[in-house]
Amino acid sequence: MNAPTTKDKRVNRAPLNRRMRKIFNQIQWSALFASPLLESIVNTASKDGTCKLLASILGVLALLSASSNAADAAGMIFFEQRVRPLLVEHCYSCHSAEAKKLKGNLYLDSKAGWEKGGDSGTPAIIPGNPEESLLIRTVQHLEEDLKMPPKKPKLSDPQLADLLTWVRMGAPDPRDGAKIEAKRGDKSWWSLQPLPKTFSQDSIDGFITAKLTEKGLRLNQPSEPRSLIRRMTYDLTGLPPTAEEVETFSIAHQTNPRAAVETLVDRLLASPRYGERWGRHWLDVVRFGESNGFERNFIIDDLWPFRDYVIKSINADKPFNQFITEHLAGDVVGKDNPQIEVGSAFLVAGPYDDVGNQDIVAQKNIRAATLDDMITATSGAFLGLTINCARCHNHKFDPIPTEDYYRLRAAFEGTVHGRRIVADPMQLQAFSTTTTPLTTELKELEAQRSKLEQTIEKRAKDTFEATKFTRPKIDPNGTDESFTATEAKHLRFVIHGLTGDYQPGAKLKRGGGGKLTEFQVWSSSEPTRNVALASNGTNAEGAKSSKAEDFPDAYGPQYCIDGMLGEAWFIGTPAVLTLSFAKVETINRITFINARGDRTIEEGKVRGATPCEYEIQVSMDGQSWRTVASDEGREPWTQAHGIERFRRNSTTDEEQQKLGAFQKQIAQVQTKLNAVPALPQMWVGMHTQPKEPTFVQKGGDPMKPSEAVVPASLNVLDQVAKPYALKADADEGQRRVALAQWITSNDNPLPPRVLANRVWQHHFGTGIVDTPSDFGFLGSKPTHPELLDYLATRLLVHGWKLKPLHREILLSQTYQQSASYRDEAAKEDKSARLLWRFPPRRLSAEEIRDTMLAVAGKLQLEPMGGSGFRLYKFTQNNVSTYFPLETHGPETYRRAVYHQNARASVVDVLTDFDLPDIAFAAPKRANTTTPLQALTLLNHGFTLDMANALGSRVAKSENAVSQIFRLTFQRPPTAKEHEAATALINIHGLGAFCRAMLNTNELIYLD
Amino acid sequence: MNVADTLPVEIISSTVNRPTCPMTTPLDFTRRQLLAQMTTGLTGVALSRLCTHDLAAATQQQPHFAPRAKQVLQIFCPGAASHIDLWDHKPELEKFHGTPMPGAEKEVTFQGKNGNLMKSPWAFAPAGQSGKMISSMLPHIAKHADEMAFIHSMTSRTNTHGPGCIYMNSCFTREGFPSAGSWVSYALGTANENMPTYVSIQDLRGEPPNGKANWGNGFLPAQHQAVAMAAQQPLRNLARPISVTDDDEQATREFLNVLNTGHAAIHPGNDELRARMAAYELAAKMQLTAPEVSNLSNEPAHIHSLYGTTDENKLKAAYAKNCLLARRFLEKGVRYVSLYCASRASNVDGLLNWDAHKTLKADYERHCPIFDQPTAALLTDMKQRGMLDDVLVLWCTEFGRMPTHQEGTSGRDHNPDAFTTWMMGAGVKGGVSHGATDEFGRRSVVDVTTVYDFYATVLHLLGLDHEKLTHYHNGANRRLTDVHGHVLKNILA
Repeated sequence: MNAPTTKDKRVNRAPLNRRMRKIFNQIQWSALFASPLLESIVNTASKDGTCKLLASILGVLALLSASSNAADAAGMIFFEQRVRPLLVEHCYSCHSAEAKKLKGNLYLDSKAGWEKGGDSGTPAIIPGNPEESLLIRTVQHLEEDLKMPPKKPKLSDPQLADLLTWVRMGAPDPRDGAKIEAKRGDKSWWSLQPLPKTFSQDSIDGFITAKLTEKGLRLNQPSEPRSLIRRMTYDLTGLPPTAEEVETFSIAHQTNPRAAVETLVDRLLASPRYGERWGRHWLDVVRFGESNGFERNFIIDDLWPFRDYVIKSINADKPFNQFITEHLAGDVVGKDNPQIEVGSAFLVAGPYDDVGNQDIVAQKNIRAATLDDMITATSGAFLGLTINCARCHNHKFDPIPTEDYYRLRAAFEGTVHGRRIVADPMQLQAFSTTTTPLTTELKELEAQRSKLEQTIEKRAKDTFEATKFTRPKIDPNGTDESFTATEAKHLRFVIHGLTGDYQPGAKLKRGGGGKLTEFQVWSSSEPTRNVALASNGTNAEGAKSSKAEDFPDAYGPQYCIDGMLGEAWFIGTPAVLTLSFAKVETINRITFINARGDRTIEEGKVRGATPCEYEIQVSMDGQSWRTVASDEGREPWTQAHGIERFRRNSTTDEEQQKLGAFQKQIAQVQTKLNAVPALPQMWVGMHTQPKEPTFVQKGGDPMKPSEAVVPASLNVLDQVAKPYALKADADEGQRRVALAQWITSNDNPLPPRVLANRVWQHHFGTGIVDTPSDFGFLGSKPTHPELLDYLATRLLVHGWKLKPLHREILLSQTYQQSASYRDEAAKEDKSARLLWRFPPRRLSAEEIRDTMLAVAGKLQLEPMGGSGFRLYKFTQNNVSTYFPLETHGPETYRRAVYHQNARASVVDVLTDFDLPDIAFAAPKRANTTTPLQALTLLNHGFTLDMANALGSRVAKSENAVSQIFRLTFQRPPTAKEHEAATALINIHGLGAFCRAMLNTNELIYLD
Repeated sequence: MNVADTLPVEIISSTVNRPTCPMTTPLDFTRRQLLAQMTTGLTGVALSRLCTHDLAAATQQQPHFAPRAKQVLQIFCPGAASHIDLWDHKPELEKFHGTPMPGAEKEVTFQGKNGNLMKSPWAFAPAGQSGKMISSMLPHIAKHADEMAFIHSMTSRTNTHGPGCIYMNSCFTREGFPSAGSWVSYALGTANENMPTYVSIQDLRGEPPNGKANWGNGFLPAQHQAVAMAAQQPLRNLARPISVTDDDEQATREFLNVLNTGHAAIHPGNDELRARMAAYELAAKMQLTAPEVSNLSNEPAHIHSLYGTTDENKLKAAYAKNCLLARRFLEKGVRYVSLYCASRASNVDGLLNWDAHKTLKADYERHCPIFDQPTAALLTDMKQRGMLDDVLVLWCTEFGRMPTHQEGTSGRDHNPDAFTTWMMGAGVKGGVSHGATDEFGRRSVVDVTTVYDFYATVLHLLGLDHEKLTHYHNGANRRLTDVHGHVLKNILA
């Protein structure tokens, strides 16, 4: 087809234009694409293949001005006929919404797509200018490293000519009707833009009302005072108001609502309870948990100072730029100041694997996962970005290159989990002053004693070396002791020493800590038989050195008489195995065995220590015992054992006295030392200078390092926040300080946006962005983008302090409106995201528990901090197990924020009501309703205890019903409620009534 | 979009963000609409009764396509049950017993150095028509060989028990991701409103490695976590306190209803209030149903002896009771049952679970008899009741063991590069083996299979496309199978 170009006919343009307009004005162009006319044109054209008709029309049309409808229409016809099929066939498989995998971030299935362009950042087509159009150049194979379509033959010349023509025509493209959704975000993504300087409104209510008006909605009436004070008190403190507070506020509110609310807000913000409530929100964000997770899941008993630090900082309204800096580098910026240093425990507050893997590859993977936790926590909490998604490849949805992930890693490369002393110089000095004289004295005493012991030992060694032994040393695989046949109803094996005590470097245990797999007692009559077997009715008793709470049989002495070598008794203290036979037996020999398996096995690895000093005693009544055999005359287990045995006999009385005196003096000094208060030790992590640069790990595989990166700012924000780059070997601490400065610089728009959104979220139940730690492409979009920016700006105006921002929000009409439901508004906006009402909410897990304690009069507000309480029993047997408690004693009646939240533990009430397991940050709590919650609140001992306590607050009162309504709901009962309650109490007692009250919806749902 | 309106019908309400669940609600109404349609003339009690009743009918959700299986029984032997001593017969190991493993002398694995190749302490014997070679330590289970599809080429991403167990259960080595049972609960909902959807039955010896994370809901709503129940451990807080009489309870609940009904009446537009009232009704039903299902005393004597519930070996008897309990749960429509045989690491390797680091023979002579007869009885019993038409049975462990012995011991160290699992029952082809390990069982080499493939297949059998079952969390639309997984077509019936 000889498509005429616009160029050669442009001279004649004007008259033609006039003529053609006349013709085309007679056609309804808007209907062209649906019209039979077009169909016939196209059909004709394709059927005869000559395209003459179309060509001639186009030839004329193409001369027309681009602004002309007629020209557009003709261009469209050309596009539909010539270009669209070509694009569909050759380009859409990689460059459309339907593409299985979008390539180069370029869409060719919409006009907007090519206008925007792909990764090149420029439009793929410059209308009228094919030479400058990347799309044309790539299909013409003019771009060396970008030849399209890839791995396929070049398009044919006529096809190329069509594309060229189309672009020269101005690239007419009708494909703008349906808006094609992008599949990922780029640097123009909303949350990555700087904060605006000006706003269309100047108050929260202005933004909210404007949006409501747009939708034909309006705010509710102001809330009535009781609802309002309940809402505000829970919101700021997590506790219910008292009935008196409700009454006082209600009266004040009648005369001057604004003054009453202002007074209330000021009182609540000043309350220490505020930090406990809002500190808990923050602890969710920073994935604070007090056990290490993974297989061992050991409890961490000294991370609570971080929890207290958070609560104190929030109560003090510490500016968040400072707060964030302390999280990342408190140990650097607050060196020698424990109150600040503890902030950096943030880095190590997440789960980590400490299993002690010997496999090198596994060790590297574990380290990578440990750092990944720090990277994930940092990017989510402060930036609202999911940088962790860029660990193995460039982020799939956000413009975060994988290098950004490793830049962040470079900042944390020197951080490891663990505890250390955190004290100020005064404390350190004072400690040293007190302890130095004592430790010096101790050392001197020990040196003197050691000298004396060496003399004794020399003597013992000489004796040992001169001695000939009559019997072989014990054999762990089976040692026999024979004795004169004797009658016995009981037999005991009294252990005085273990082989393990005399291994080089062993600490003397004198019995405890060894193992026995089998203990046999042989009858003297032929055929001889093992009368000790449990199957003969024998019973074994003995202390164990280890126990498993969830499996009481483990490590027990019964394994000595089960006839199998598999399991062992873990010898405890006192180290005595006592056997009681079913009847009196005549016996003359025993065998004890400490062997597992059939291979030559190593003591330390498998078997554990074996008894090597012992007595065998028999008894008829279990009271009086007679020794029938011992290790007397056996060759000692080792030289050390031999010396130790002779040592006892080689010590003179005088020496014994001296040793005793030393022992006494040493004990006295030790007691004084122990009395000196230890320096505070905390789980704040350790920091060392990394030895190697940080490498990008290909596919996230630590075994595949590729290019090195330096500690630096993130590329994703390079157009708004001023970038920095440190040297590859930059000081470890300075890496984190630089990161903190960059995150909290006032030109970085993300932290204030993310933080303002979190504040809003906790006031209204849902954030303006409903994915509070993900402001990226997969996160949800803000319902009120400008309001969010306004709040972020206000936060900066307030110097990163939260309290003034709370105040602005709480004093708004939007916040103070009622929660009343309106059908017509709900039809438009059911979940009230636009805030035509205050969204009602259920209390959080902590609020529910604290409320029960509060209304029962049992809540202990002090101590405000320190070690947490536990609603589980923690047990450790190689790994940890957490058993929920059946009874919650008064020592647990503190606020739930002080509960020691171990990972993968389940505790009643709290877990049931969606306390998150803190494997990950939980910036948003789930809100579920389950039958298990009902079972817990009805049946757990805690509810009964609280019901009784509540009842006892009014037990002597005649008006119990009204009083309990007042205590629980801060309102009087209705007549109907009063009547029903009275009937219940009369038959089933006050306890039943209180138990019901603690299960009501009114107790845990707020207006 | 109003998130709440897109929620599928469930017993339990949730306002958690759930925008990406691909399940289309098959019903003409949502639970919220249902509740909204309730007339106000009914009393509170009747109202919530009615609503729980209708909900029950409505809680089954539709899969993506016609399912082959409707329920899952997962049997899990934690501690890394040795593939080469149970299922994966390696004659070469016998031949080269006591010699160094070619090309891998003194290899360092999880606990340290390895010694020479070590044959299995027990002979293998051919089983069934297929002649599948199975350890002579498992004579009862071997009788089901013709119904099983073995996957011999499994691989793990970790050599550590805790992460390994949660990897086998959730496809991620770190905590915080939903277990497969939770995903199935999320996708398919309950089949019986009086019972939990997902139950985890622990061993008498305690929790498996990493404990509760194995059946956790991760970031899915809390109702999708497993409820822990076992013969030795009733459902927590199920029983009414002793001090409360039946009459007290009745009256308390009625009074509670009066208050809640009154409260709900003046709070229109908050469906959660009625959902919570319904949850109390369900709890009451569970209080009746759960003890009844857990009561094994009505089972005939021959069933007890088939399982071995009165065996003198206390551990075997306890596991046998749990096997019987598993069958009863499945009969009552529990969607996903996880049954554990053995527990966590302790102060002795291999004492409480299958982790035979040092004394393989002694350890497995203890574990196999506990596992063998009761498991086989459960399979036999389900088969004769026709339950295997609907129930998919999975046998899992977290990884395999080394063909060598650990230096200085007679046990085997961890081996994440090869292990065996099997499936049987609904939709599974019997008597087949998928994939293979090398001559010694050191590595999977033929049709190497991942846990992602394993669960892609499980979901497929349940009528679910593993690429379409997703949930948004912290920046990603998460899947059970992460970004991997292929259905193992050759084990499908």
